Amino acid sequence: MEKKIIYIRDTDSAQKERINDYFTLFSNELRDANLLEQVQLVKVADIGLYEKGVAVKIIPENIVYSGIKTTDVKEIVEETIRGGKIIKDLLCGKKSKQLRAVLKNCGYIDPESLEDYIAAGGYKALVKVLTEMKPEAVVEELKKSGLRGRGGAGYPTWMKWNFARGMNSPEKYVICNGDEGDPGAYMDRSVLEGDPHSVLEGMIIAGYTIGSTKGYFYIRAEYPLAVERVQKAIDQATSAGLLGNNILGSNFNFELEIRLGAGAFVCGEETSLIASIEGKRGTPHPRPPYPSVKGLWGKPTIINNVETLANIPLLIAGGGTKFASVGTEKSKGTKVFALTGKVKNSGLVEVPMGITLREIVYDIGGGIINNRDIKAIQTGGPSGGVIPQEFLDTPVDYENLGKLGSIMGSGGMIAIDDTDCLVDLAKFYLEFCVDESCGKCAPCRLGGYQLLQILKKISGGNGELEDLNRLKKISYAMQKASLCGLGQSASNPVFSTIRYFEEEYKRHIVDKKCPAGKCKALISFKVISEKCKKCGLCMKNCPANAITGSREAGYIVDSQKCIKCGVCFDVCKFKAVMKE
Amino acid sequence: MKKITKEDIEKVDPSKKDLGKNWIKVGMSTCGVAAGADEVYAALIDEAKKRNIEIDIRKCGCQGACSVEPLVEVNVEGLPKVLYGRVTKDVAVTILERHVRNKKLLHDYIFEIN
Ligand SMILES: Cc1cc2nc3c(=O)[nH]c(=O)nc-3n(C[C@H](O)[C@H](O)[C@H](O)COP(=O)(O)O)c2cc1C
Ligand code: SF4
Ligand code: SF4
Ligand code: FES
Repeated sequence: MEKKIIYIRDTDSAQKERINDYFTLFSNELRDANLLEQVQLVKVADIGLYEKGVAVKIIPENIVYSGIKTTDVKEIVEETIRGGKIIKDLLCGKKSKQLRAVLKNCGYIDPESLEDYIAAGGYKALVKVLTEMKPEAVVEELKKSGLRGRGGAGYPTWMKWNFARGMNSPEKYVICNGDEGDPGAYMDRSVLEGDPHSVLEGMIIAGYTIGSTKGYFYIRAEYPLAVERVQKAIDQATSAGLLGNNILGSNFNFELEIRLGAGAFVCGEETSLIASIEGKRGTPHPRPPYPSVKGLWGKPTIINNVETLANIPLLIAGGGTKFASVGTEKSKGTKVFALTGKVKNSGLVEVPMGITLREIVYDIGGGIINNRDIKAIQTGGPSGGVIPQEFLDTPVDYENLGKLGSIMGSGGMIAIDDTDCLVDLAKFYLEFCVDESCGKCAPCRLGGYQLLQILKKISGGNGELEDLNRLKKISYAMQKASLCGLGQSASNPVFSTIRYFEEEYKRHIVDKKCPAGKCKALISFKVISEKCKKCGLCMKNCPANAITGSREAGYIVDSQKCIKCGVCFDVCKFKAVMKE
Repeated sequence: MKKITKEDIEKVDPSKKDLGKNWIKVGMSTCGVAAGADEVYAALIDEAKKRNIEIDIRKCGCQGACSVEPLVEVNVEGLPKVLYGRVTKDVAVTILERHVRNKKLLHDYIFEIN
């Protein structure tokens, strides 16, 4: 018999011991069947299935069984391992929901090696463009592909490139936007660090298409490793003749340079970014004129997100039609998300457009920690909104997320459960935007500050019902009147949390309660004397000496002294401390 | 570096890319390094030499399972390719001895099976 491996995993993390019982059972059966020599039994930490009980995967056949009962073990060993037969009832039809296209090289090749990138098919798209495609043909391919910008707004990439291409100017520029200031997002960093040459290749193709000879990588200074790898990639490409004059023997010249972003969120906005490269203060300008007409140093400029550019080589190599075969009607290709928050497996995922939020959270993310219920999903970071649990079956694309009051954004995705307070979440994002506002225009500068004060008032227990209307009014004014995207979208988290979770706001305002127990002014801690075993642990651990009492009399919390740190709640082994 | 020509690029067939039969890859992006990937990488190199274990040890970027870093992918002839997560220096040594030398997979650290 061929050597086999059985991977075994209990997908139900609550039952810690059970896996060892199954392991012993399997070992015994294998021993009885005299198969120990041929079969390796391995406990694994993840088998790609969730909430399906005990699961095994049998290699090389790649058979996955789930929901295995102890009584099934003997049959599995006899029938499948020895007999090579599949037990249909246990079979688990499982397909990977991820689709790695942009990330196909990430984690696969050595990002510091040009040879590795070429060996994986790199720079073939560039050769194709230089030898057999006119700029118009590249634009045509982009149009067929339906690729839209991955930096937030989802503007069709072909249109941007075509405008710039059509401009009659001896000087034009290509900029890669690697500012990624959205808290919680790190997709672009991963691409720059894991596969820098793919972004380079995208930029060189962009340069050829619009007729530019100079490009800039704008990368935030907080990403030193990304900067180092991109610089290495530029140096390698330059000495190999992939950058510089007469690239690959053609008459096309192109060079690249890195500019460091100073870490302001607003510098990711295209007009500020351009000002920043010009050495001016990074503040936005009104558009139009758009950068494709009048950009860097007043010349036609295209500015694209890292992930948008990393899509270019695979789009050109495989053709626009093939690219467009993945996705929904108006959103094509894949999208990379940084999945975080209360999911079991946080991480970087790449999925086809059109996948549902539920599939991302449950089938890829493994569901919510401790199997709690999901309350909502936040997408788009400080410019985005929340999508409540009822809409989890929505296919992810630009239009759908927009309709629900959120945005695709650059790809942050946070799972929220009942232990998260949405007023607190809105406050967190608003605080971020108020800090990051450049202050140039009044709606953003003053409106943001006002919104934040009202949210603080509500979470502090002083809210009035009229505040809800004030929030909505100010939000609306900011959306309409702010100069740049920061101010226009800063109120989205407020708007969308009120839209779906007005009740939760009202609990804060009317009942003066925070259901999630997050807003400190609205919670109090109490020792429930019936449950208290008088161990004194809470008193010992309270940093504010707010708990008094003795082993005879029991313990009480002095609400005046309590700083609401929650330590007593966490340390009590008998759940005798109540938080409400 | 010598200049690369169109032909050099055109003649590559990525589907035939041969990474070799025995290799280890360590995820070395910012998050991996923050979780201790460079220590793991250094330990693998040092220990492999000390123990006379011949294996190609390389760096790579994000493998996606960012919450269980450091990540180490191992491919050894005769065994399927696996991704180990939460790898420490000790685990790295065990990978060399148990997985690479004795061709036995480690328990409890495998996060992805191919
Ligand atoms: C406040 C603000 C911050 C932004 N930050 C980024 C960013 O970090 N990265 C990015 O690619 N785009 C960012 N954008 C969007 C850019 O202005 C621009 O639309 C984008 O880089 C265009 O590239 P794309 O068409 O490839 O998406 C930001 C926009 C605003 C209003
Ligand atoms: S909206 Fe805010 S960030 Fe944008 S220009 Fe106005 S003040 Fe500056
Ligand atoms: S919440 Fe913190 S400060 Fe308040 S009683 Fe408990 S331990 Fe003391
Ligand atoms: S960025 Fe480290 S594995 Fe994802």
